[in-house]
Amino acid sequence: MSGAREKKRAKKMRNQPASVTLPAEPGPFPGGGSRACPPSGDVRSEQQYQQQKFSNQSSGPSYRKDQYFPKGQNRGERGRGRGGWQGGRVSEEMPKYITVSTFAQARAAEINAMLKAVAQKSSNSLVFQTLPRHMRRRAMSHNIKRLPRRLQEIARKEKKEQSKTKCRKARRRHINLVAEFNRRQRKNIWLETHIWHAKRFHMVKKWGYCLGDSPTEKSYRACYRAMTKHCLLQDLSYYCCLELTGKENELLKQLARICSIDTGLTFEEACCLSGRFEGSLNLYRADRYPEDMLGPITFIWKPRDGSENRQLWIWMHPALKQDMLRELKAVFQCSEPEEIYIPEPITTTIQEEKQVDVVLSLGKKRKKEDKEGEKAVPVKKIIGDGTRDPFQSYSWISQTTGIVISDRTMEILRYRLIGPLSHSVLTETLKAASLQTEVADSETELNNWWVENCKDSEKVSLHQRQSAIFELLEGMSSPSEMPPGTILGLTVGDPRVNLPKKKTKAMPDFEKYQDNDKVRQLYLEGVPVDCAHSFIWDQDICKNVTENKISEQDLNHMRAQLLVPGSHLDLGPCESKIPILLVQQPGKMAGEDRPGWGSGWDIYLPKGWGMAFWIPFIYRGVRVGGLQEALKHSEYQRTPHAPNDFPDCQAGMQFAKELETSLLEKFKRRPPAKRANYVKLGTLSPFVCPWGQLTKNWEGRMKASGEFVHPSSPHPELCATEGHSFCDSKAEVVKEASPETGEVEETMEIISSEGVLKTEDVIGAQEFGERDETMTTSDFIVLRSEKLLMQLSAWCYPTAGKDRRLRLISRLGQKEMTEDVFLPILMSYPRALVWVNLSLLRKGNPELHAMICIPAEDDLVHLSKDKLFCGPQEPKHRDIFKHKVQKLKEEKKKKKKDNTKALESDPPSVPDKKTTEEHEDLILGLWSDALPDITSHCSRTLLGYVTRGDFSLAAGCGEALGFVSLTGLLYMLYNQPADKKGLVLLRTPASLQYRFARLNIEV
Amino acid sequence: MVRFKNRYVLCEVVSEDPRCRQCIEDRAVGLAVRDAVGRVHGDYGLACCSISFTVKYLNAYTGTVLLRCRKDSYRLLCSALPFVRQLESRNQRYPCSLNTLHVGGTIRTCQKFLIQYNRRQLLMLLQNCTNEEERRCIQKSLLSCSLTEEHSQSGDEEDDDGPE
Repeated sequence: MSGAREKKRAKKMRNQPASVTLPAEPGPFPGGGSRACPPSGDVRSEQQYQQQKFSNQSSGPSYRKDQYFPKGQNRGERGRGRGGWQGGRVSEEMPKYITVSTFAQARAAEINAMLKAVAQKSSNSLVFQTLPRHMRRRAMSHNIKRLPRRLQEIARKEKKEQSKTKCRKARRRHINLVAEFNRRQRKNIWLETHIWHAKRFHMVKKWGYCLGDSPTEKSYRACYRAMTKHCLLQDLSYYCCLELTGKENELLKQLARICSIDTGLTFEEACCLSGRFEGSLNLYRADRYPEDMLGPITFIWKPRDGSENRQLWIWMHPALKQDMLRELKAVFQCSEPEEIYIPEPITTTIQEEKQVDVVLSLGKKRKKEDKEGEKAVPVKKIIGDGTRDPFQSYSWISQTTGIVISDRTMEILRYRLIGPLSHSVLTETLKAASLQTEVADSETELNNWWVENCKDSEKVSLHQRQSAIFELLEGMSSPSEMPPGTILGLTVGDPRVNLPKKKTKAMPDFEKYQDNDKVRQLYLEGVPVDCAHSFIWDQDICKNVTENKISEQDLNHMRAQLLVPGSHLDLGPCESKIPILLVQQPGKMAGEDRPGWGSGWDIYLPKGWGMAFWIPFIYRGVRVGGLQEALKHSEYQRTPHAPNDFPDCQAGMQFAKELETSLLEKFKRRPPAKRANYVKLGTLSPFVCPWGQLTKNWEGRMKASGEFVHPSSPHPELCATEGHSFCDSKAEVVKEASPETGEVEETMEIISSEGVLKTEDVIGAQEFGERDETMTTSDFIVLRSEKLLMQLSAWCYPTAGKDRRLRLISRLGQKEMTEDVFLPILMSYPRALVWVNLSLLRKGNPELHAMICIPAEDDLVHLSKDKLFCGPQEPKHRDIFKHKVQKLKEEKKKKKKDNTKALESDPPSVPDKKTTEEHEDLILGLWSDALPDITSHCSRTLLGYVTRGDFSLAAGCGEALGFVSLTGLLYMLYNQPADKKGLVLLRTPASLQYRFARLNIEV
Repeated sequence: MVRFKNRYVLCEVVSEDPRCRQCIEDRAVGLAVRDAVGRVHGDYGLACCSISFTVKYLNAYTGTVLLRCRKDSYRLLCSALPFVRQLESRNQRYPCSLNTLHVGGTIRTCQKFLIQYNRRQLLMLLQNCTNEEERRCIQKSLLSCSLTEEHSQSGDEEDDDGPE
């Protein structure tokens, strides 16, 4: 706004004359600098003016100096042109011709400047509006010739400007609208539901897509309710799909390098490999586990169909795609683009043009009138990725193994239904395709694949089995009752046909299935392997289905022609059959509370059918969520969300950086007096989590306490015990230092009596020493080893009574917490982070980047005594940067004053910007030096940071997710009494109040 | 729309001393006028005149000065202008006086008046000139000013076409 206004003003002031003063510096005339020229003014005429002046003045003879200005040459020179302003009177004393010429030239120049100012139209009004009333005529703006002739030229220019944009009606005409949409899709990819979303959502541009962030209506709680009670729909089509094709063992051999058995599943998992279940895992750079994380993915194998080649889909977040694609290409040595696929886009464009031709013949009349009719021929709605270069190949082949990697992003749509009723929505919306043995229209390719398929009795029976299982889904009370990741392939009819007249909520009819053995069988056995087969794997069929979709217009036309309005439209053989894939999402699996919360179904569709499935879903009463809702969903599930919660992968770092800049911007926008002073609050980095520094500091602490018995630390007594514990030399020392119960000591004795273990430890320590040097290059890792996490999780449990803990430990098959067990962990992972969740004990609402701290012993004592005790307070810190900032400010002020003074006295002096810009980044309230030891900066030792925190509607209290340092966590757990295990303190960045929270690790 | 109405006073600095020209600058002129108003009308008058008082334009070579003040108090200003006796700048002061040429409601009218006034001056000079050289000079400058006007207009058009 203001920018535009300034521009307007600059344009207006461009021709206004600026003040003309004499050159200020004595001496030879400095070139033009002294005169305040209009910055954007007509430089040419000004220069001319000045040059005239110079020539006149310098041409003057020097005699006058002697006569009138004996004091100095400078004045004499300056005074030479004085006759210019009082021509007649002073003229007796000097030769007249010079005086007159300067006089005349000065006037002439001024006249010029003034003329220029006057001639320019000063107001913002149009020409005909500036005319006096009596000269106005009707319809002057329309017909230029009604204006006086002298103004016609200007008016013509104005009119041309206006007619640049077409009228709204023309813009909204379908063909122009599509062209406009296509133009806008070139930069950022639009999902197929974009228009629908754009009308109802706050849209954001992220990762090269236009995505709905959150609904514009108030729906925070409603979306949560939909997730828990009904169904929340989300368009996940922006997730990227990479397809790997090749021999199974070749694929597996290489894929084993980029994932690890430690983290849970691998690509080789038997049930996933058969194609029965979807798997999810974390990818690492080849052979680099546990460093160099690439990101989380989900994968689906195509069920075996007899042929040697297997197909594998890897689905990932778009932020992670480039890294993964590069790594996969490197692993499989797929460097050259595959040539077979290049002609494909060309053929499609030809077909597109053909189709457009058909369209054109329909609407030719209008097209002919349109001036740009010829040009507008290739206007076709973009389906899929609009930013792709049609002549670039998006698949790569390996010469040695014949493995093909193809990028199928935006080729396959993916919707996610979350909530217990999502399968009743599915069963109501989708109807299994009817069998068809005759081709409806021999000219088109519509459904010819389906007809072919129906001739095969085996495939027909498979289809029937699939549809039978699909029908049975309605009898389930929640999708979480299915085994996690179940895949069901299906071929369905056009969902637009059975659209209800009104939006209704899909509700299951349980009575129908009360005593159904089949449902029970489905519970127990899950979906059989062969039912996972779907035609969506076949690219040709997908293309056929995409191209032969009946347009919305035609469908509506057919509806209109029904004999009984509003009756069911039966398309018969013309009805499209669409292959889809249904994949169950397991929901919350880890932890004890709310099992199966947030489970649902993912539906995979061939592209082009997005809206055809979307609207019927909407008509079944689902609620639609955006990115924010997805974030909340994963928050309540307590799972990390890509890419926010993967600080060790590239995309996560990028995300953190962007978040920091945006938060800093937001902070700077506040008036300085209203900002939180984070230095005083003891928050070192309120906008970003310094994971590297955190792990490094903890490592340093551990080392320091291992080497020195009395390290300098805020908790000397704690550290002393720790110091003992880290010296794994004598068992007696361990015994003394151990605050554990007698049982623990017993177990410890048993373990320590075995000398073998100890020596192992020593070896481990040595290895660690060697490894440490190599580790220093990489900053930190996130611990994802399932075994270790299980162990940690068991250790985190508080034990009210000992038996419970023992039972739990025996159940999990875990060892008791002794240094023999955790020392090797520490050694092998000196700089690791652990994903934890925290739920607040009493008051408090955690925020982003809240600090997780270790409670002091007094705090725990106080907590057990006082029921209303909410948590200790952090003492106020001193702002050590305050006087620095103030000094800078004063300096700046002074300089400014000096500058203005200098400007007044000496216009051409340039303000020295360098010194002011030097300290630009020093902001009051932010830590501006390099961070000190962040763990011991505050009164409570820092353990980690919260990456997401909010009041949890699901749990009914504040909940947070975050990372803590593994070293710190072990240190804390080891020193805490048994019944207070896992208690930590949380402090939000802008507060001094600590709150108690329970730390949990869910595996 | 309601706006604050101003009066623009176009005056000419008259001085015996040619060195006075170097004192003709925004601050010096403004101070001198303010001082005169203060002397003549006292604090009240000074306060009245100070509202939105500025030197909008000045030309040291021709001695033209354009002052702005509120419409309510322009009489105070105009009556004080003859009492301006000197201009002071950089510790140098030169005696001079202000000769009011025109009082207008907009800058535009003042500019128009200034064009007219300057033309008249030039023509007068042309009539009064005594030798041939002089006559030639004045004619040249007279012609130049009218010529450049057209030039500048054409330049204007080019400018306008440029960004669009």
